[in-house]
Amino acid sequence: MQYFAGVDIGSTMTKVVIMNQSLLASVIGPTGPEHRKLANRVMEEALKKARLSFKDITYLVATGYGRISVPFADKQITEISCHAKGVAYLLPEARTVLDIGGQDSKGIKLKDGRAVDFVMNDKCAAGTGRFLEVAAEELGVKLEDMGKLSLKAKKAVSISNTCTVFAAQEVVTKLSEGAALPDIIAGLHEAIATRIYGMLRRLKIEREVALTGGGAKNIGLVRALEAKMGFTVVVPPEPLLTGAIGAALLGRNIVKEAEEKGTPLARSKRRLQEATLFT
Amino acid sequence: MIYVIGIDIGSAFSKAVIMSGGKVVSHHVMPSGGNYKLTAEAVVKKALAKVKLSLKDIDYIVATGYGASNATSANEVVSDLSCQGRGIAYLFPSARTVIDIGGQFTKVFRVNEKGKVTAFLQSEKCAAGSGRFLQVIARVLQIDLKDIGELSLKSKNRVDFNTGCAVFAESEAISRVAEGALKEDILAGLHRTLAAKIQSMVERVGLKPDCTVVGGGAKDIGLVSSIEQSLACQLLLPQEPQIVAALGAALLAEAKAVPSRSVTNLKGG
Repeated sequence: MQYFAGVDIGSTMTKVVIMNQSLLASVIGPTGPEHRKLANRVMEEALKKARLSFKDITYLVATGYGRISVPFADKQITEISCHAKGVAYLLPEARTVLDIGGQDSKGIKLKDGRAVDFVMNDKCAAGTGRFLEVAAEELGVKLEDMGKLSLKAKKAVSISNTCTVFAAQEVVTKLSEGAALPDIIAGLHEAIATRIYGMLRRLKIEREVALTGGGAKNIGLVRALEAKMGFTVVVPPEPLLTGAIGAALLGRNIVKEAEEKGTPLARSKRRLQEATLFT
Repeated sequence: MIYVIGIDIGSAFSKAVIMSGGKVVSHHVMPSGGNYKLTAEAVVKKALAKVKLSLKDIDYIVATGYGASNATSANEVVSDLSCQGRGIAYLFPSARTVIDIGGQFTKVFRVNEKGKVTAFLQSEKCAAGSGRFLQVIARVLQIDLKDIGELSLKSKNRVDFNTGCAVFAESEAISRVAEGALKEDILAGLHRTLAAKIQSMVERVGLKPDCTVVGGGAKDIGLVSSIEQSLACQLLLPQEPQIVAALGAALLAEAKAVPSRSVTNLKGG
């Protein structure tokens, strides 16, 4: 039996999946400052869940912002390719992917299950999960509660600042002026949706649009984006895992190709146990 | 004796300058706080108290800045660019390029010999390149804003940043602290980032010497020297860089008050 692992180290969350024909185990944990130690720990946890040991893994692909910090990976692949692959597998009807991460946002155009074009914002915190994280902290609301709370809004408060720093200030002012919390949060979702839609529009948006990343878990943001686009979007059951799933699937393709061609498989010499010695 | 006041209500600091006979006789600077109206009154009162004057003795008041409309004692509100241009022409008649690093915005503009603004650019909608950037980092490093400049000059091993965004720079600074980088090296790196942003603004407006830097950011000696390196040009630095707009407002007020001496009762008090 062949097993494939995908490790996606994002700026905020680290995700690991183990697959054979289907998904066997997945682990999601926060990315701390020590990527390498963390990569080991989450990998071990995923192996335990799948009742496997590291030597059972046929091929391991790392992706995401911290992919170079996975010394035991057989290959590193960019998150654009991995997200494209993951979405094409989970939601074959998708033609456009919008990934809203903790520290960047990406739009990807899909054709035949591959990325053919993409846009990205990692220069400015506005339009990324970071915007909501900062605002949530300022409002004293848990990030995961923002979506639900915003659905109670009667009238979204318009947020005029684009910059996260200034918007956070504005939010406090609105609160002190007596604006209702749900109305402010709805306003924040509208602001970030406008920003993200502006980025995504640089691609020719084709339906279906799949929403992934932490942002896809925020129902208020999903609704705000749908309102901007004028149609509903599709969201995978676990939107955080698409990159890791895509990584595992791309690993499977690499192994398959090598087998078909009869070429030897290039694998990392570093093993998980050794890797724990790295600091 | 004719006395006039220039008031500048900025997003972070409020300033008042009292002039008489073409000379500054008193000035005061204080944080703007949450109530601009009260601050506008207080900053004038403080400046007046220093020279034992009261509002009755004042012939004309010009207000300027982000919160100028809150200065109810003013006879007139004038745009901050006009005031700054005027203040610059008074302090540095040779200055043709002005960098104003404020608490919320950075502006770069060109002035002619009369202090008239001929070109202008503002860091809109983004905290990168403004004094706000420094405030954010000062909080992360737990140091006083006013100590940033001196401390950064001690840097021997500058830590460069990958981002211009104030929010991302904050997390980057936290990571560098966690990795054991020295505060002065982090600050030097941030000054470099800010200076690069300001440099690109200056280049868009066009650098014409002499160049001067004003606003609260000009009090950060580390930032000033970083900008000097970026622009490869020495900057003129006012003694009190925060009060340039208020000074310009006072000069404009004086121009109004002096010819109107015979008219009297301008302020009805």
